[in-house]
Parts: sequence; structure tokens; C-alpha cells
Amino acid sequence: MSGRRIRLLIWKEFLQLRRDPLLLRLLFIMPIAQLILFGYVVAADVTNLPTAVVDLDRTATSRALSAHFDASDYFDVVARPAESELQPLMDTGRIGIAIVIPEGTQAALDRGETAPVGVVVDGSDSQVASVGSGYASQIVARFNAERMAGQGVQLAAPGIDARVRVMFNPTLAAVNTMIPGLVAAIVMLSIMAVMGQAVVKERERGTLEQMFVTPIRPTEYLIGKVTPYVLVANVQLLLVALVGVFWFGVPFAGRISVVVAGLALFMLTSIGLGLLISLVSNTRQQAQQLMMLFMLPSFVLSGFIFPIDSMPAAIVPLTWFVPLTWAIQILRGAFIKGSGFEALGTQFLVLTAFAVVLFGAAVAATHRRLAE
Amino acid sequence: MNADHATEPNPEAAISVRGLTKRFGSFTAVDGVDFDVARGTIFGFLGPNGSGKTTTIRMLTGTSAPNAGQARVLGEDVALHPERVRPRFGYMSQKFALFEDMTVAENLRFYAGVYNLAPERFAEQRAYVLEMADLKGRENELTANLSVGWRQRLALGTATIHDPELLFLDEPTGGVDPVARRQFWDLLYELAGRGVTLFVTTHYMDEASHCNQLAFIYNGRLIAEGAPADIRHGLRDEWAAAGHPGEPTLEDVFVDLVEREGSVSRRGTTG
Repeated sequence: MSGRRIRLLIWKEFLQLRRDPLLLRLLFIMPIAQLILFGYVVAADVTNLPTAVVDLDRTATSRALSAHFDASDYFDVVARPAESELQPLMDTGRIGIAIVIPEGTQAALDRGETAPVGVVVDGSDSQVASVGSGYASQIVARFNAERMAGQGVQLAAPGIDARVRVMFNPTLAAVNTMIPGLVAAIVMLSIMAVMGQAVVKERERGTLEQMFVTPIRPTEYLIGKVTPYVLVANVQLLLVALVGVFWFGVPFAGRISVVVAGLALFMLTSIGLGLLISLVSNTRQQAQQLMMLFMLPSFVLSGFIFPIDSMPAAIVPLTWFVPLTWAIQILRGAFIKGSGFEALGTQFLVLTAFAVVLFGAAVAATHRRLAE
Repeated sequence: MNADHATEPNPEAAISVRGLTKRFGSFTAVDGVDFDVARGTIFGFLGPNGSGKTTTIRMLTGTSAPNAGQARVLGEDVALHPERVRPRFGYMSQKFALFEDMTVAENLRFYAGVYNLAPERFAEQRAYVLEMADLKGRENELTANLSVGWRQRLALGTATIHDPELLFLDEPTGGVDPVARRQFWDLLYELAGRGVTLFVTTHYMDEASHCNQLAFIYNGRLIAEGAPADIRHGLRDEWAAAGHPGEPTLEDVFVDLVEREGSVSRRGTTG
């Protein structure tokens, strides 16, 4: 193996990258566009939920509870209909959630009884349904706590409620989970897609064939091909991480070593996948289609966009076969919870297995194909 | 017609092939081929598309391992020691495999680096290639912007930047106009005049007559071998007997051979 030839190949690769303005723009616009998309659009979708309050009690207590909803950023009380008008409002989509305070609520509370409050959610949007009902019960809980504190009654376990409230800050939570996921997704896109394409381009033009009748060895070629894209991916994810931490204020609670180890394993996995795709594709269009075939399920099943917890039980085992799933769990764990290697043992084990198998198989197969 | 399978490869020849065979599954692409290419000659390797030309070149350049037989290139067993032979030969494919998003100078610099040319040697070779390819003053143009004739000559330049003893040319004139083809052959003669052995595949019969030695491959087997004149003379009597006027051309000979072969094997051409 010759370091000089590897440097030459890396020089060539950067030169070609620089001459491809579309690809270069894509490599830097894509992460920024995704940051904006996921940082703002996805994070913003649970605030200002159009809400109806049906107050059948018409007492000081019911008005105070209603005011709590009004004051919240998550709910925007747009209607105070009678009970019979509720259904049409929900049907037309003018409201996403309704709070029904039954008659006799204050009376029941005064007697020291539990008073049920109805929360009606538009289930056609599962995101609104689960998140909205969650916030609604929190507001009710906070209302309870304040009422009891005002009456000098101690709540059984006030600490638990307090913690739940902090963690459920929705704007924070969405960006906080999105950005670590985005870091992993970008690694996958840049390395797997772009590198795979680069190899196929070389085959299309005949330069691959040409290089392999020269003294260049397959291993030298692979290192020369992989290094530039790994460097590019590192610049991209540094950009995303910095914007995430300093602009969106994503807290970084974890250890750098955990993030670096997780990313390194995931990069090897992505290189493997990119090479495998380049191996079975004869044209860049084929590689592109194969990529899409692989990317879409990865994004959908990995928990990058949709939480795995809310997937049907039958689907969940499928997510285990998506490497991105494990990479995202490691990055989220490290970013948000500050998890170390011990807590993420399973994830590291699985990702290591993916890296060894996919990278190993791809390098061996590429080697054989290139040498053949 | 063919050298005896039992004989050893000739170590003096630039290329010496014995019983060379390549199978892809049940399909035999190259079937027990024997030939020698003497040093300093232009060897024409002819055959229709899919007859086994490119597969043979791939075995000779060490990018494809034969299933049987041996190929000695510049005295080395190329399947065993490709790394010993590769620095000593050049290869130019029909795709003129240049990096299109790199300039003329960058392409030359890349291949000079691949062959580890010393800086002063590179400067010499670079000047020679630019002169030969008529690209002086266009060093910083992107290869993609060059027209076919220039690309072809630049490809020849990059393939010979390390001054190889042997040059493989796989259909080097495909898609090139007749004037550029003529100019290109002049360059090949010049190389041969400097003692470089040329192994050229083509399916243009007019180009075949430029070669010192020919081998015709069909369905993976050699069906004719020899100097162009000898091959033509071989058919002369039959040609006259069949009532054709004049001398048979190389094209007549090969059409005749293919028809005879086809009626025997009924395999037909592939691809």
C-alpha cells in the first residue's frame, strides 16, 4: 500500500468534488434546510392547538380552569360552545381538542370528591391526539396542585408532577430529539448516497476500469474514495451540532466520547451500505433508486421522524434491522440524557455488529469486484 | 494454426498465452486460446462484439483471473503477479477513460503520480504528450470540453505517460471520424517505431491491415492467425474457384471464416 498514491486519490476526489457545484451545494444546503425544517416546522406543530371549552358548571372553579387553558401556549381557546355544538366544530376541524367541564364540578370538589373533566380529542391526527391530551392532563394537574396549595393541602408527591412538566416542554423536546437524529441522518445521506454515487460515476465513465490496470490497489482506491466523504460528513455534522447547540439551544448533556464512538460505528456502516449499493448499480440512476428504496424506510422506521413507541407492535421488530435506529438512540441518549457506554450497551453492541458485518462484507465484495 | 497447448509460454515474447480460458457460469467467453505477440510489433486482435476480445484483454491486464491456461505478459505470469507487470504496460479503453471534471494537466498529473514519475521525468513526458496530442496551450481546459479526437489522443497520452513497453488498446478508434483515425494510427506507428509493443482490438478491417500480426477470435476461439497478407492469401485459391474477381480482402476472409464456423457450431454471435 502506498501513502503517496492514497494522497493522490484523495487530491483527485476533492478536485472532482469542487467541480461539482450541484453536489457541493447539496452537501451544505441539505443539512441547513433540514435543520430549519425540523427545528422550526416540526417543533412548532403542537402549539396553539385550536381548543373549545364547554363550561357546563359556570362557577369560579370552572372559569379558573378554563383560564389556565387560555393562558397556555399550547392551547388557543377559539370557542366556548354549548355541548350540542361541539360535534360540528370537531367535524369541520375548527377545533382539535375540547375540554368539557361538567355541571357540579365545583360542588364535588368542595365536598372533597374527585371531579372528572372531559378531554375530547380529534383522533384523526395522532400527533395532536397524543400530545394534546398529554398537555391537557398536565394543565389539569397543575390547576389541581395550585388549588390545593391555595387551600394549604399538601399534594402526595409534588416532585413527580414538577419533573413531568419540565420534560414535556414541547418546543424544547422536539428540537432536542430532532437534532441528534439529524446528525445521524446526515452521516447516512452524505456517506452512503454521495460516496455510492461517486463510485458508480467512476464505473460509468470507465475510469474505474482504467485505474485498476495501473499500480493502484483496490485498498488504496477505497481509502482514497472514503476519506474525502468522511471529512465532508464530519464538517456537516459539526455544522448541525453547532447550530443545534448554539441556535436552537439543544443541551448537550453527554460525553463526547460516546457521540464520537457512535458516529464512527455508524459511518463504517454507512460506508458499507454505500459500497454495496455502488456494487449492484451500473448507472447512477440505479444507485439513486436503490438509495431511495433504502432511505425512506430508514427515516420512517428509525424513530427519526415518528416515535417508535407509537408504532404498531408488529412493526417494531422491523425497526431493529435499520442501523439508523440504533445510531439515533445512541445520539439522543448521549445528547439529552447524558447516557454513557453502560446505559447504551445494547445499542453499541448492535451497531458494532452492523458495522462489522456491512463494512466487512462491502469491502470484501468491492475488493473482489474491483480486482476481478 | 495455433501453438501447441503443451508448449510452454515463450518468455521472450511481449505476450505469450497458452490455453487461456474464461468461463462465466456455463458460458465460455474465451476457450483455450494460444498466441504469441513478438516484442515491438503491432498485434491486431479482431472479432465481432461479444466474441471474447475484452475478456481476453482483462485477463492480459490482470483484472480478471483465467479459469484455465496461462498468460505471460512481459515475461511475468500476470494472474499471479499483476503488480510486477502493471507499471510496465499501458491501457487505453474505448471509453477514453479520462476524468472529465479535471483539466488536461490534472489528468496527466494524476497518472504521472500513479506511476510515480520523478518530477523532471514528468515534465518531459508532459511536454511530449501535450505536443503529441496537439493540446499545447489547452492544459487548463476541462477534459469534458475537448472534442473526441483530442480526448482520444489525451487518453493515449495518459496511457503512455510512464513510457510503457507494451500498450493495450481496446477499440481505441470507436466513434472517431476517419481523419482522426488516420492521425491516431500515425501516432501508433510512431510508438511502435520506438519499440513499444501494441496489442490492438478493433472491428474495423481497414485498421487490421495496419497490423504486423493478426488473430481473429470468434465465439471465444481463435479461428485465424498470421500476418495480414498470409491470411488473405490463404483464401485466394478458394476465392478464385468460387468465381469471385480479384483478391479477397481481409473482410472477405473473415466473413468467410465466420460463415464456416457458424455452420459448424451453430452457436451464433452473442451480444
